[in-house]
Amino acid sequence: MKIVVTVKLVPDAGAVKRIDPATKRLMRTGVETALNPFDEYAIEAALQLKERLADDSTVTIFTMAPESSKETLRKALAMGADDAVMLSDPALEGSDAVVTSYAMAQALKKIGFDLILSGALSDDGNTGGVPGALAEYLGVPGLTNVRKIEEAGGGRIKAQRETDTGYQVVTGPLPALVTVTMAVGEPRYASLKGIMGAKKKTIDTLSVSDAAIDRPVGSDGAKTEVVAIAAPKAREKARVVEAADGESGAQAIFDFLRERKLV
Amino acid sequence: MRDVVVFVEHSGAQTRKVTFELAAEAQRLADALGGKAHAVVVGGGSAELAKQLQNHPLDKIHYSDDADVDKFLLDPQVDYLEAVAKAVGPCVILVPNTMLGRDIAGRIAGRLNAGLTSDVTELRVEGGQVQCVAPKLQGSTITTCAFKNADYGVITVRPNAFAAAPHATGAELIALEKPSGKAYGMAIESDVEEASGEIGLEEAAVVVSGGRGMGGPQPFETLLKPLADALGGAVGASRAAADAGWVPYSLQIGQTGKIVSPQLYIAVGISGAIQHKVGMQTAATIVAINRDGTVPIGETADLLVVGDLFQIVPALTLLVQKAKAAHA
Repeated sequence: MKIVVTVKLVPDAGAVKRIDPATKRLMRTGVETALNPFDEYAIEAALQLKERLADDSTVTIFTMAPESSKETLRKALAMGADDAVMLSDPALEGSDAVVTSYAMAQALKKIGFDLILSGALSDDGNTGGVPGALAEYLGVPGLTNVRKIEEAGGGRIKAQRETDTGYQVVTGPLPALVTVTMAVGEPRYASLKGIMGAKKKTIDTLSVSDAAIDRPVGSDGAKTEVVAIAAPKAREKARVVEAADGESGAQAIFDFLRERKLV
Repeated sequence: MRDVVVFVEHSGAQTRKVTFELAAEAQRLADALGGKAHAVVVGGGSAELAKQLQNHPLDKIHYSDDADVDKFLLDPQVDYLEAVAKAVGPCVILVPNTMLGRDIAGRIAGRLNAGLTSDVTELRVEGGQVQCVAPKLQGSTITTCAFKNADYGVITVRPNAFAAAPHATGAELIALEKPSGKAYGMAIESDVEEASGEIGLEEAAVVVSGGRGMGGPQPFETLLKPLADALGGAVGASRAAADAGWVPYSLQIGQTGKIVSPQLYIAVGISGAIQHKVGMQTAATIVAINRDGTVPIGETADLLVVGDLFQIVPALTLLVQKAKAAHA
């Protein structure tokens, strides 16, 4: 089975994020990139599945990102993925969620897959819309928020999907696109052997024309545009009350809630 | 984009509260755009829910009491929504920013080649165009987005961002034709309920959340639940508490969990990492209880009470219960 994990390279969570006032886009230069933490769970799920299948299954990492972020992909390879493919082209810069999904779909059709795994959300955009749109453009069923893949193979998948109140057991055909939650298990650390091995693994690069992308992409093709940015309203500093005991602490909160007509 | 379409999320027997907020906002937008406000409700129980929606500000309610919808994951819902959007389009589609809503939004946006914008807290009409205001980059920036190059715009809207405005409108009911000849991908074999009653977390007016300071699963039941009940709210948790296995992930609030925007948020034993703040910082009032007066939640809270949560929470619950009893 060919398992492809789509990952997003995001600004490091600790980095101070700045918006370019001219383009109103996130400034990525000089900001350390990292694998979207949610996608590490998808890599873990893919590796677990490959180990369980114990056949000739492969795990390919796929991302749409500038070529300069190639090194970040090595981390995914060091975890144990077999190879990686990047969709990289200056023309893609400024693509929004839906255009990104279309471009990714074209590239993924080219690469081929039985199962696509990804994280349920990205750490930066927090849209959560890409997997759904991607499944549509690929013409495959989507299965989101999976906490456990029970079975995958022989053209079928069975998985537990988180819901607001618990979980559902869902079955369907492969190929499919599956997003996973953190409940699939802590992502493994790369071993020294993995890190050394990753240096020899191939990272292929596809351009817009390689991927047969035949619609406008980047900011020309984007279907949304940012028209304004602003700082959030500053909150007043908290009133701090040192509670001598439980009663006085409770009374302070109760009085505060009364003041605001919340009780 | 003249008309506005609301996707109705429901449990079969009950419509989610956020739908009513979306209906009021849809009507306001439709009036400003010179179009109509529509709702789409599909799945078992929809005929009855459609009638109830007539008590909300909408022009047309499209429904299909099709129980097959509930057997499959998303596909039939997306098909119905697509059919309505194409029939009334160009249009703007409002979807709740919930677990289901985010899925639906991505799917329908891909299906319609639409613009997609997420977790919106304010909507405007400027020059006949809809503009969407949303906090981005962990709440550090407020962006305003507009649609371009598309006949459809899909917007996921944060629950509690808008007020519902119920009144009898007698909106027109339109029965939808079942999409024919479609093979659906993912079938739901079983539905397992682990935590009942938490469906309202994203929509609750009051959320009482516990973190690492709770020390274990039990205080969620014995301390937080009674306080939440007394305040008519729901219990939430930080990622630390969910990771420790004290509560199911469905209660987790934050960047990797649910985003809530209640009238009152009480953070108990939560230090307030940025990832947690993303999930609750738009609450109207935030109260924190913590042993440590220097915790980051102090930067977000309106009131920080420094003390022992195990003493403060039960005492507060008693005060609230007494106040309630005095009013009753």
